[in-house]
Amino acid sequence: MRRADIQDEPATYERLVYKNTSVYHYMRISLVLENESTRLSAAQLKQLIVSGLRDLYGEVGGAFPFDLLKFDESTLTGVLRVYNSGLVKLWSALTLLGFYQNELCFFRVTQVSPFLLTLSGNSRELELD
Amino acid sequence: MAVFMDLNITYTTDKKRLRSVIETAAHLGYSTVAINYVVDLQQKKQVSSSVFPGKSRPIKVLNRLTVVASDPSHFRPNAEYKAYDLVAVYPTTEKLFHAACMTFDVDIICVAVIEKQPFFFKRSPINGAIERGVFFEISYTPAIRDSTMRRYTIANAISLMETCKGKNVIVTSGAEKPLELRGPYDIANLGLLFGLSEGDGKAAISTNCRAVHLHGETRKTALGIVHTMKKDQPLTERQEEEHAPVSKRAKIETV
Repeated sequence: MRRADIQDEPATYERLVYKNTSVYHYMRISLVLENESTRLSAAQLKQLIVSGLRDLYGEVGGAFPFDLLKFDESTLTGVLRVYNSGLVKLWSALTLLGFYQNELCFFRVTQVSPFLLTLSGNSRELELD
Repeated sequence: MAVFMDLNITYTTDKKRLRSVIETAAHLGYSTVAINYVVDLQQKKQVSSSVFPGKSRPIKVLNRLTVVASDPSHFRPNAEYKAYDLVAVYPTTEKLFHAACMTFDVDIICVAVIEKQPFFFKRSPINGAIERGVFFEISYTPAIRDSTMRRYTIANAISLMETCKGKNVIVTSGAEKPLELRGPYDIANLGLLFGLSEGDGKAAISTNCRAVHLHGETRKTALGIVHTMKKDQPLTERQEEEHAPVSKRAKIETV
């Protein structure tokens, strides 16, 4: 809680300029289905995401290039890669996607980062000995 | 930073489903949810005013009442509204929208998302509402269910943003099933689609929701709530206070 007698120091600014920003954004996603025993292949997942993009953004949006780098069929988790300009489109298409073959589903986006290294760990799964 | 809140979970009589929705919300990172009881006064349909008992779990559960009205006389602030933490109104006509923005004692004004907006937004009632501390709500679950609803949601949201410049907006789900909820950062991204800036999008689910909650609390009090800060008192002052008789000491209730 802030205290009344302790004054805040005036904010100082430091400007950081990144020279080698990444061209891509990486997203770790996981698909949650209503019927938990349904399984998808990597190609079917990519088709689902493309259809979601096409529903929301039309032919131009559906044609936007993105890659599915890793996909684990048993847990339905994967890593997507997309250009920086297409991140908002892809992310909003994943958010508004609600159905897979007449079954309710939803995409859970666990991590988003311009660097692939940050996707290797997160504090939610951190195990402290 | 303010915590994430989802202020619109539709009340269903199926308690198990309601509980699973709240659990999913807790899992996704929301710290507070509000269960929405909808009352449609035109059809004289009363939803049971039972208040969901708060459970002792890490998520906080509030109660919210939404009044669907088309006439200013339908809305009567009376004692039963006091039982709810938040009060919202869903105006279906321009006259009611104007009255709700300027005079009604509400916290939230719902913007239509499942139908084409029956009236245009004018700047003067919206500015009046912003000054009073009333917030406009956009619900995103209809956009997930159907593509026509998606068009209406985005169209109405964009026309709202044009008039209000992104101030005083909250984005909520309207989830009836646990699979219809989305994480807080996903919603902040959707805000970009609706025309909000990045900062406004994040504020729409955190700081603005907190402001709505506090606004709802002020309705229960006479003047308002006082946010106190701790201050170290120098010794001499404290000694002087102790000499004053008990009745004259100031009464401060800590919240």
